[in-house]
Amino acid sequence: MIIGIDVGGTHADGVLLDGARLVAKHKVIVDQAHLSETIIALLGALVPQDHSQLERVHLSSTLATNAIVTGNLDPVGMLIQAGPGINPDFFANNGPTWFLDGAIDHRGHIIRDPDPRLIDEAAAAMRQAGIDSVGIVTKFSHRNSIHERFIADCLGSGFSHICMGHQISGLPNFPRRVYTTWLNASLTARFAQFKRAIEHGLAHLGVDCPCHILKADGGTIPFARAIEFPCESVHSGPSASVMGCLALAGHPGDAILLDIGGTTTDISLLVDGIPLLEPYGIIIAGRPTLIRALNTISVGLGGDSTVAFADDGFRIGPGRSGPPMAQGGTTPTPTDAMVVLDLLAVGSAEKAAAAMRSLRPQEPPADTARLLLTTFAERISQAVEAMIDLVFSRPVYTVSALLHRHRITPERLVVIGGPAAALRQNLETCFNLPCLVPADYEVANAIGAARTQLTAQATLYADTADGRVSIPEISCLEDISNRFGMAEAELKLEQVIRGIASDMGMTGSPAIDFLERLEMNVIRGFETSGKILNLKAQIRPGLADIQGEQP
Amino acid sequence: MTSFMPRAQHRTALILFPAFDWCISPTHPEREERLLYTRDQLIEEGLEDIENIVFLNPELASHADIDRVHLCAPSSHKLLTESHLISAGATLRVARAVMDKEADKAFAIVRPPGHHAMQTVFGDRGFCIVNIEAIMIEYIRRHYGVKKIAIVDTDCHHGDGTQDIYWNDPDTLFISLHQDGRTLFPGTGFIRESGGPAADGYTINLPLPPNTGEDGFDMVMERVVMPVLDEFKPELIINSAGQDNHYTDPITNMNFTAQGYARLNQRLNPDICVLEGGYSIEGALPYTNLGIILAMAGMDYSHVKEPDYDQARFRQPEEMTRYIAGVCDKALEVFANRGKTKQEALKKKVVSERKSIFYDTTGFNVDETRQYHLCPDCPGYTEVTATSPRARIHAFTVPFNACPTCQRTARDLFAATQPVAQTITALQDRVADIYETK
Repeated sequence: MIIGIDVGGTHADGVLLDGARLVAKHKVIVDQAHLSETIIALLGALVPQDHSQLERVHLSSTLATNAIVTGNLDPVGMLIQAGPGINPDFFANNGPTWFLDGAIDHRGHIIRDPDPRLIDEAAAAMRQAGIDSVGIVTKFSHRNSIHERFIADCLGSGFSHICMGHQISGLPNFPRRVYTTWLNASLTARFAQFKRAIEHGLAHLGVDCPCHILKADGGTIPFARAIEFPCESVHSGPSASVMGCLALAGHPGDAILLDIGGTTTDISLLVDGIPLLEPYGIIIAGRPTLIRALNTISVGLGGDSTVAFADDGFRIGPGRSGPPMAQGGTTPTPTDAMVVLDLLAVGSAEKAAAAMRSLRPQEPPADTARLLLTTFAERISQAVEAMIDLVFSRPVYTVSALLHRHRITPERLVVIGGPAAALRQNLETCFNLPCLVPADYEVANAIGAARTQLTAQATLYADTADGRVSIPEISCLEDISNRFGMAEAELKLEQVIRGIASDMGMTGSPAIDFLERLEMNVIRGFETSGKILNLKAQIRPGLADIQGEQP
Repeated sequence: MTSFMPRAQHRTALILFPAFDWCISPTHPEREERLLYTRDQLIEEGLEDIENIVFLNPELASHADIDRVHLCAPSSHKLLTESHLISAGATLRVARAVMDKEADKAFAIVRPPGHHAMQTVFGDRGFCIVNIEAIMIEYIRRHYGVKKIAIVDTDCHHGDGTQDIYWNDPDTLFISLHQDGRTLFPGTGFIRESGGPAADGYTINLPLPPNTGEDGFDMVMERVVMPVLDEFKPELIINSAGQDNHYTDPITNMNFTAQGYARLNQRLNPDICVLEGGYSIEGALPYTNLGIILAMAGMDYSHVKEPDYDQARFRQPEEMTRYIAGVCDKALEVFANRGKTKQEALKKKVVSERKSIFYDTTGFNVDETRQYHLCPDCPGYTEVTATSPRARIHAFTVPFNACPTCQRTARDLFAATQPVAQTITALQDRVADIYETK
């Protein structure tokens, strides 16, 4: 059995699953200041009598997200080697930053080594400032991590935490690598504290099964690894919701997932049942990052959104001003329309009708309500269209990719959230697609947390002209022969990913997808001097197989 | 985004399409690898996350977009691959971005290039089949009614294709800065090449001596390009942004730099840039392209320097400075005397020009004759006859700014011409946007 816990802004939900079967569910109010206590209370209510039956606990926590939003982060000193390119001064806006000299170029060639004196000076200044956590990022460290490691070596053991950019992600994008490394370093101490508290709580409950943390990419990592990469636990809520939809909806093919809440609707897309990922990562507190994440967008359209009516039609959201009028509020909302049409039984039907009359005094409230809900569905549909357009317009770099790219054509809608059932008919009509509102959707996120399996990603960059291969995620920088080819590169990367997965405790042999495969001849002076191979592969986000059950 | 990322002052649209699966031949300079390192640099810099910089995908140009500009033998369908339609289509997409005000400026970093492609096309010339800037310009004229356009070609090779297409058009100012034609392909671009009978002085060539560096380019920009543009007052400025003047380029002999290209671009302030040549794919393009983008976007490019950049290395000798000053003076004279030959030409009514065009990729010559039918009210229509070893073109072309009389005359002449075997008889009427063959 697995316990899944999803901590939200106000409530935390937990479920106990036996395979896919919901054995127990429980909900508590969240005290964001005492998160571990909240989680332990929830665990206490869910742990099965026979503790040995519990295989794992999966936790989707707001710890990291809250720390970022409230600015409650450890001070971090960033050591940055920017080399030639965009003026890097803007990084200093983020906090204490030291710029080092030296550079590595786009092919991973060393242009100049950093001056150790500058590193020593930075180290002294950081100690002086009481900084104990350090982030080190060099431009193109995904191609060659040697300078990052050299700088870390120079710092020695004088700091509690040192995070290096290449370990965080093998993807390009220097500013994102800088911010992700910074975030990771700034969360390390806090996350370690959280881990201790949860482990203590679990021990107190007499539970000794592994605990996994949900990530933003629809996967999990074990606590032991999360301690090194706490940034990966950021923004796991939407991923719990998407995975929950997936668990509740069976295999939905190409689908649109909607999580309609009070203030916002979260939209995500499934292609052949697999959730779509962000090309690089999420944006957190204004900082673009390389934190792998499901591609979700949040639009300001919810059941309690403020509604106004003007000549050009309804204005819905993006904000909310208190509860719906049916529940004693002062501004009309889509929820009031649902009440008027008997789609939802909350509050006062009379007040809801008054809300509709306040929008269009001359019209019968039911007509206004119908029009409002139609408009609401249309707005969601427009947002979905815009998102599909955006996905379609992601840059491609080959003739074949440009000619063969196709626009996602969803086959169904899966909708969860408070107003989901009430809006089903409207959405079905507006999208002209079958619309599924799964049972137990109120605990979809916790179910998603429980059913999610490990994910991992790694990248490989081989340059046979230089005789070197780099797999930054494991700090691998090895010599290769000039015969090293695509087949070997694929095999090597697969082994690395399997190694990462098995280190994290994954059993069995997960499917590995190659997301990118680039092979390019390097020509110098009309002769082939070697090959560049660039690969990216992953264990895709998905639901863990359930033993003894047919999918 | 917030202050955590730099912000572009000008909204800048970019198409970065390296066509990793297309080449002229595997070891040709125009090969798959050409924009690999540029892509790597631009992505690593995080340009995609900078507010006001947007990346677009190219689209495919239609054959009608090609036929509006070129006279292809046997046809545009037969000569062009999808890669050519994409590279031309990318320029149309960036043009729309600017014309529809999605962006203030745009840069198409695409391949293959186009500035050696002339009006008549029998194959590949200087890595180009079709002229992607001209296709864009005529598209803009067709769809947005823009008249006066300036093209500043900063590729190291003379933009002979663009010059050829706009040779007789006084509404298109063509300025080319390049390595002297006595020392480099295509061997043209001398100051005396100054435009056809209806547009004399609207083609300005600035042949620069080998080893010209930042100082020389700065001088040319300051003394010629900017004052001439100020006087011409174009509605749009296009930069044919070749980057092979770079000191590391393997097939040219100049000493220009990423800083120099960025500064040139900042001064020129073009609406649209289109990549042309540039074959130092590791040592130059990642830096020159980044420098140009930052300059266009109105961002700080002071840190964009090649790993081995040393400004002192490229100080030019006094003698070279004096020589370039002389080139500037002569070019200014060309522009000052613009339009003067048209009066003389009008008396003759028809002016005939003949030239031989060499197709370097497969190695053949085309013999071409143009008869400019002059008109007091417009640049007039042109009758073109071009013969390659395999095909012949006989065409009547009506420019976008032709008067109704010239348009009618050209159409009547086309109608009266009997089709001949092995000859493409064509009417290219840009006023009515018609391309007809028989």
